[in-house]
Amino acid sequence: MAATSVAKPASKSNKTKSKATLLNALGYKSLLTFTILALACIAGFASRLFAVIRFESIIHEFDPWFNYRATAYMVQHNFYNFLNWFDDRAWYPLGRIVGGTVYPGLMITSGTIHYILHALNIPVHIRDICVFLAPFFSGLTALATYFLTKELWSSGAGLLAACFIAIVPGYISRSVAGSYDNEGIAIFALMFTYYLWVKSVKTGSVYWATWTALSYFYMVSAWGGYVFIINLIPLHVFVLLLMGRFSNRIYTAYTTFFILGLVLSMQIPFVGFQPVRTSEHMASLGVFALLNAVAVLRYLQSKLSSTEIKYVFTIGVLIAGAAVFCVVVLLTYAGVIAPWSGRFYSLWDTGYAKIHIPIIASVSEHQPTTWFSFFFDLHILVITFPVGLWYTIKNINDERVFIVLYAVSAVYFAGVMVRLMLTLTPVVCILSAVAFSRLLELYLKEDESASKGGETSDNDENDEKGMYDKAGKLKKMKHEQLKENEADQGLGINVRSFVVVAVMMMLMMFAVHCTWVTSNAYSSPSIVLASYGQDGSRQIIDDFREAYYWLWQNTRDDARIMSWWDYGYQIAGMGNRTTLVDNNTWNNSHIALVGKAMSSNESEAYKIMTNLDVDYVLVIFGGVIGYSGDDINKFLWMVRIAEGEHPKDIQESNYFSERGEFRVDSEASQTMLNCLMYKLSYYRFGDMKLDFRNPAGFDRTRNAVIGQRSIDLTYLEEAYTSEHWLVRIYRVKKPHEFNRPKIDKAERRFISKSFVSKKTAKKKKGSIKNKPVVIRGQRLSDQ
Amino acid sequence: MEILYSIPFSILEVPNLKIRKPSWLHQPSAMTVFSIVLLSYFMVTGGIIYDVIVEPPSIGSTTDERGHSRPVAFMPYRVNGQYILEGLASSFMFTLGGLGYIILDQTQSTTMPKFNRLLLIFLGFICIIISFLTTWIFMRMKLPGYLQS
Repeated sequence: MAATSVAKPASKSNKTKSKATLLNALGYKSLLTFTILALACIAGFASRLFAVIRFESIIHEFDPWFNYRATAYMVQHNFYNFLNWFDDRAWYPLGRIVGGTVYPGLMITSGTIHYILHALNIPVHIRDICVFLAPFFSGLTALATYFLTKELWSSGAGLLAACFIAIVPGYISRSVAGSYDNEGIAIFALMFTYYLWVKSVKTGSVYWATWTALSYFYMVSAWGGYVFIINLIPLHVFVLLLMGRFSNRIYTAYTTFFILGLVLSMQIPFVGFQPVRTSEHMASLGVFALLNAVAVLRYLQSKLSSTEIKYVFTIGVLIAGAAVFCVVVLLTYAGVIAPWSGRFYSLWDTGYAKIHIPIIASVSEHQPTTWFSFFFDLHILVITFPVGLWYTIKNINDERVFIVLYAVSAVYFAGVMVRLMLTLTPVVCILSAVAFSRLLELYLKEDESASKGGETSDNDENDEKGMYDKAGKLKKMKHEQLKENEADQGLGINVRSFVVVAVMMMLMMFAVHCTWVTSNAYSSPSIVLASYGQDGSRQIIDDFREAYYWLWQNTRDDARIMSWWDYGYQIAGMGNRTTLVDNNTWNNSHIALVGKAMSSNESEAYKIMTNLDVDYVLVIFGGVIGYSGDDINKFLWMVRIAEGEHPKDIQESNYFSERGEFRVDSEASQTMLNCLMYKLSYYRFGDMKLDFRNPAGFDRTRNAVIGQRSIDLTYLEEAYTSEHWLVRIYRVKKPHEFNRPKIDKAERRFISKSFVSKKTAKKKKGSIKNKPVVIRGQRLSDQ
Repeated sequence: MEILYSIPFSILEVPNLKIRKPSWLHQPSAMTVFSIVLLSYFMVTGGIIYDVIVEPPSIGSTTDERGHSRPVAFMPYRVNGQYILEGLASSFMFTLGGLGYIILDQTQSTTMPKFNRLLLIFLGFICIIISFLTTWIFMRMKLPGYLQS
């Protein structure tokens, strides 16, 4: 519980901070800022270490295993070999061009850290760097958020935002130690790019815009979510144009950023020509054209300067906008620009994935979000988020338009997919920090002004310094407010302190909630499971690694393992064996083929498996320990995906019982009872009696006695079952092993012993019947 | 140049049109924008998109030990599932809390009698506390071990 004790001071110290700004000593202020930021980073780092402390320094889940494998490959060979790496151990028989299908930013980042550490003679294993990379970057994210919020509102709000983002569960969920995934570094890149963008909008300098483009480049190299940036920034510019807030600053910032960002993003092999060819990027191009059109019209306006030109201007802008739109639509229609890819399309048409691409809908993190996830991941911030939004909308200026747009779009996207909660989290932290800092400012500062009237003027100056580049309107409002406050300051210290204490209590509850959620929900490596007994004792279930090591040690080096795609990366990473499908779900038909094999009966499946050269089949079975994420629970998705490609052979309705339920007990349909997945999961399970209360063959995950107790396999044989039956591996027999029907010894017919050889002692030499007599110089007689 | 322009008008008659910017088209005020945003926020946090895609029932039901069917408002233990009403109830609580904070801020910005201010502060405060406690209770219903183990 070390993290709790650290997390609390971080959020408490904000209170001391807003008081300390009153001291107006620059030294104190920067010291406090530094301390709070450092504490936030440490708290963020510490609370992400639950998994390492409880288990060990291990890579989590599924995708991180591939990233780790790729990083290890890059460190072992060099960077260019990594870019040219053709992985023949994945997607057998197709293989995968890793260098061209991966965002290399993550590998390069940890590879660079590894290189630097080794250059300094600090021998750290690359695995430890991979494990601790995400917590380390969460500290950097806190810093980037601080700077962004400082630009948008004030440094006080920035400190609060940094503290929030350091411990908020929505971000921790993707960045605990060991979850070595693109998102871990991408959120930092996202926030930093936004900070630089806001900075360049404010200054209008090429310098900052170039930095924005560079940071965008890093983001592009790190995560596919860069599309969010390249749509949000143009949207910002577009809305500013609509609001009539065009200025040279925006023109400079956007054109510089767009051109450099475009050229830089095309340097990533995986992205390639997409920025000029796909619809996802067309908005940025369109806004670029529109912005230039507006700039030209502006220029004309300044030259002509008549009243009529205003109308010409508006109409010109409208025509330019329409023209850009039409060109994009036409080009898309002509096929020059690729239309929206399915993943992005499903963000707009929410039912799209469910109907057309089951493979996207099957991923649990692509499910739509419920209220629970919002509250679970954000807690109090979900309540204060609209308040911060209200403040920013009320005191709008160029850069606050940006955060409002970010907030609105991110809320929508987070509602569509649980996974995109991650992009919502930073903006929620920023806006909540704005709300809290404003509230604390009001309730704490007046407090001071009531007691020490002399300091209010200093206070105000200080405030102005903190609130950078504020619109003139706001300043006036602030003044008025101050006067009013001075006018009736006798509201009563009691009420104020009551409110402040209550707010502080809530922040404390927030810290408690965050720590609880982190420790209970987000700190499981899911490779190693832990179960708790009645007396609180802990049992480690290490079946996955056990089985993968078995594969590694006991199978041929080129053995091909068939499993559902979820486990592809793990088999490759830990078992070091060839897989058919993995978590990089680029080839739907290949996955559908595996799904078909799993969901058809044994002989059908055997045909597919021989076609694909499968040596071993691996299934995950949780019925013994009650693990709910096993293959039987995922089975319907296999059927659905297989049905999408082979609608004649596989029908989902065949797998339901008569009442239309998905069950495994005796009411299950015959197709279900005979399919390969069912057989492999429950092979020999019917004889197993787990405890005295339940009959043999009782499945703990689904709370049912299985429908078919005696299962025998013709084409496969059990090769290995891990300790808790979590992983079961079967060997696929070669055709000669089962083509001979097995006959009991008693029934076997041997060639009778009565056979007497005609060879006698005399005729030792064998002779051939009708042996042609060869005479030299003559042809054979009978031909 | 002039001649070129006038060619089509030798045949066509210029209609007497006056195109005006429609009166309703103007930049919306901050308050309008905010109310729209808040409304959509209310819907999204209530899981409207989930409701549309997954189509859960508005309220669930279980059978108790005596065989009576009882309505259940919250889908317990299911993190990725909800009934329509529980989503709306909780997102109402989120919005209520947000309004509470806004009311707390409003007490500072207008000139109003002391009593009204006190009343407003009280109101805002109640809103926040209620929403906080209710969401807490909702969490306990949804996840019975919340903040305990």
